[in-house]
Amino acid sequence: MPFRETFWNIPHWAEIGQYVLGLLTILVFAYGVFRRVKRWRMGKPEKRLDRIGERLWSVLVDAFGQVRTAQDAYAGIMHLTIFWGMVALFIGTALATVDWDVTHLFFGFQFLINGAYILYELILDIFGVLLLIGLGMAVYRRYFIRPSRLQSATAWQKALTQNFDRDDAYALVMLTLITLSGYFVEGLRIAVSKPEWAPWSPVGNALASWFIATGDPTNRTLHLTLWTIHILVAFVLIASIPFTKLFHILAAPLNIFFCTIQPAGTLIAARNDDQIGVKEWRDFSWKQLLDFEACVRCGRCQDNCPAFASGASLSPRNLIISLKTHLWDTSSGHKLHGDVISSKELWACTSCRACVQVCPVYVDHLASIIDMRRYLVNEGEVDALLQKTLANLGRYGNSFGQSERMRAKWTQPIQPVIKDARKEAVEYLWFVGDYASYHVMFSDITRKTAQVFQKADLNFGILYDAERNTGNDVRRVGEEGLFESLVEKNTAAMDKCKYNAIITTDPHSYNTLKNEYSANGNHRLVFHYTELLDQLIASGKLQFNRKLDYRVTYHDPCYLGRYNGIYDAPRRVIRALGCDLIEMPRHGDRAFCCGAGGGKIWMEEQPDVKERPAESRVREAAGMSGVSTLVTTCPKDLVMFRDAVKTAGLEEKILVKDLIELVHEAL
Amino acid sequence: MNIVALFKLVPDLVEELEIDQNGTALNTDFLRLIINEFDDHAIEQAILLKERSGARVSVLGPDIEGADDVLYTAASKGADQVIKLTGDFQGKANNHAMARAVASTLKELQADLILTGVQANTDLDGSMGALLAEYLDMPYVGYVSGVNTVDGKVVARKEYPGGLVAEMEIKLPAVLGIQAAEQPPRYVAVSKVRQAMKTATIEERPLAEADLSGGSTIHRMFKPEAGTRAEMIEGSADEVAARLVGIFKEIGVL
Repeated sequence: MPFRETFWNIPHWAEIGQYVLGLLTILVFAYGVFRRVKRWRMGKPEKRLDRIGERLWSVLVDAFGQVRTAQDAYAGIMHLTIFWGMVALFIGTALATVDWDVTHLFFGFQFLINGAYILYELILDIFGVLLLIGLGMAVYRRYFIRPSRLQSATAWQKALTQNFDRDDAYALVMLTLITLSGYFVEGLRIAVSKPEWAPWSPVGNALASWFIATGDPTNRTLHLTLWTIHILVAFVLIASIPFTKLFHILAAPLNIFFCTIQPAGTLIAARNDDQIGVKEWRDFSWKQLLDFEACVRCGRCQDNCPAFASGASLSPRNLIISLKTHLWDTSSGHKLHGDVISSKELWACTSCRACVQVCPVYVDHLASIIDMRRYLVNEGEVDALLQKTLANLGRYGNSFGQSERMRAKWTQPIQPVIKDARKEAVEYLWFVGDYASYHVMFSDITRKTAQVFQKADLNFGILYDAERNTGNDVRRVGEEGLFESLVEKNTAAMDKCKYNAIITTDPHSYNTLKNEYSANGNHRLVFHYTELLDQLIASGKLQFNRKLDYRVTYHDPCYLGRYNGIYDAPRRVIRALGCDLIEMPRHGDRAFCCGAGGGKIWMEEQPDVKERPAESRVREAAGMSGVSTLVTTCPKDLVMFRDAVKTAGLEEKILVKDLIELVHEAL
Repeated sequence: MNIVALFKLVPDLVEELEIDQNGTALNTDFLRLIINEFDDHAIEQAILLKERSGARVSVLGPDIEGADDVLYTAASKGADQVIKLTGDFQGKANNHAMARAVASTLKELQADLILTGVQANTDLDGSMGALLAEYLDMPYVGYVSGVNTVDGKVVARKEYPGGLVAEMEIKLPAVLGIQAAEQPPRYVAVSKVRQAMKTATIEERPLAEADLSGGSTIHRMFKPEAGTRAEMIEGSADEVAARLVGIFKEIGVL
């Protein structure tokens, strides 16, 4: 009958010693976890226990299934094999122990016998091999491929790197030791006891063939020695989990469970206590502290960050690592602002959300960046251009510093006159937005939008001079008070109108109207104009007379794509026009930000920028074979890209157009 | 030390200016007022002095639309006392009248150092500071772009053309016309201003009876009349030449 004596060749003292060590390990482990949790609890309170079902689902998908991790194929396979290999071997060891020291000892039966036992041995041997493949891939990647995102950039980071290097190597060495010693223990046991079912442990059996010649008692001594090493390494590894990078085994699922479950476009409001924004690490919420601790330094955020790619001083990876280190740095006296995080880093962020989107452990870099910006704004630490713009927004309600009486000037030549939604009921309230209203480059396009709406017999109106900047980017700059005041003004104006739904030109306005104004009681439907066009085309209300045979590529605006998941509607409209749509390498949720968002368009350019994000993007578009036009659906994109096309000298190669221009042309 | 910063509100040039029916003043219907930029610098300079060497800062201005915003903003920057002067400011108050009226309030406040913008777009002569000094019998220095207090005196930096800077010591009490604070006026977050609205109290003081003597009177206010437009001569070279010769003959140079 196939079975295994779990503690074969293990003297009684060693078996007892194992349990004593195990208890000690649990104590050290528990202390380590307690120490971490205690630190998180020093942060500000935040409620994260709503919608438990969705939270558990996220844990299932991204902690156990590791779907996000697997989006990078190499790293995904590497991590999944290590993770599931370790899980299987851990469960296997636990089962063997229960089988022998619980059920056999106390109840006189074993469950790991016969077929079940053979299957058990085979599965564990296979998972061991998978684990070794994963570890091999990890070693090859970290020490031979050396991806740049795993390296440390700044001097301060380099000072920390030594610890990180040790931490990284430690995990790999320990896991490899456990796996190899486990196999050797198995091989030696087989070499001595020579069970007839040994072929079901192919790896152990192969190793046994090396030792059969050695014979007893050497093999028994070797077995006991390796068993002791295996046990010691395993307990040290478990005990060290809360003190090393391995802590992500706990912190990652916790962080995923407690993630921000509201829509991506809803920013958590500034905590309204004595301290506005984050001045010291204790001003972060406990969940933000958990964010820092869950980070595994994988660097995917850095790879996708437009600020980092442009050469600006921000790397979301370094930012989180710095915060994590600062959290435990009680002796240096470093200040969060200035010593740990520079204002340059904070102002480099375009709020494009690429970092948050790719993080396998759901770190919300943006929430922390904006909380720290809130502190800077409250201290008046903003650059001159941003200060002027914020003052303009406060005084005139637009970033251009123009009179609100000029807001609807673009409507003047339009016949019939666009309805004033304040004076008559309309079906759609068109929230035009600052850029579409005031920017010289855009007024013609905005008129075309109006003409397209009129052609589709849309019953729509605008707020004329009562419209204000929605405050989407004001909020992301960190000026919460100004955001609130803009919300109040817009809400007051909209409350006086009779309408069914809102349409916007600008994805930024769309985002906050849809996801943040609802906190002020506005629960009307909000559409981006591309969604509406898509519906109008589908229902036959909008028909084209001309087929456009352009070959185009489409840029997903951050606040339409990543923030609100609208990828298909604009693409369907482009195809309905007859255009041939070619995708850029960076598209959909990996679209590369134009560099304008989060208030960046209102700030002075940082001198360390090597290639502006917008230039990188138009080069990408111009490099697509046969593509004549870069289509976008965001006024800020259009302004940024048209400018970038000029500075990059690509005027002959590519045109930048708003989708509405093509729609207008096809009418 | 008591520092008083004075401000006035001037037309915001974001709106187009219109002249009223009498043709002697701006049409106030569409007028939007904004703090005089130089006065904003004067307030900033007062706050900087307070932060650097300690002082009591009062900010003082006329009770017209927009004044509350300025005063609450000043309070959130750190002004200890914010005051608006109530009275009739419509049209007739010239700089002489204002200076005389404000002077009595400044005496009540026992001001040691009075800071005001060196000029305003409604007062390009920059007479306000000098007039105040006259009525208060204090020394006056204008075009100041930095102030330090030293043992009951102040040292003011004054810029001269050609990139020259002079430092001059002035005995207190004194009036300074500020051209620029040492640093641009700081940004005040809206939440801070809102906080100040809850905590700060705007004091109201009646403005002394206006004595209009000494001021100038505007007879006519108008927008510059456009000159005669240039005439573009179009056509072939010969046609243009022929037309030119014709014009030269018309005006008698040929």
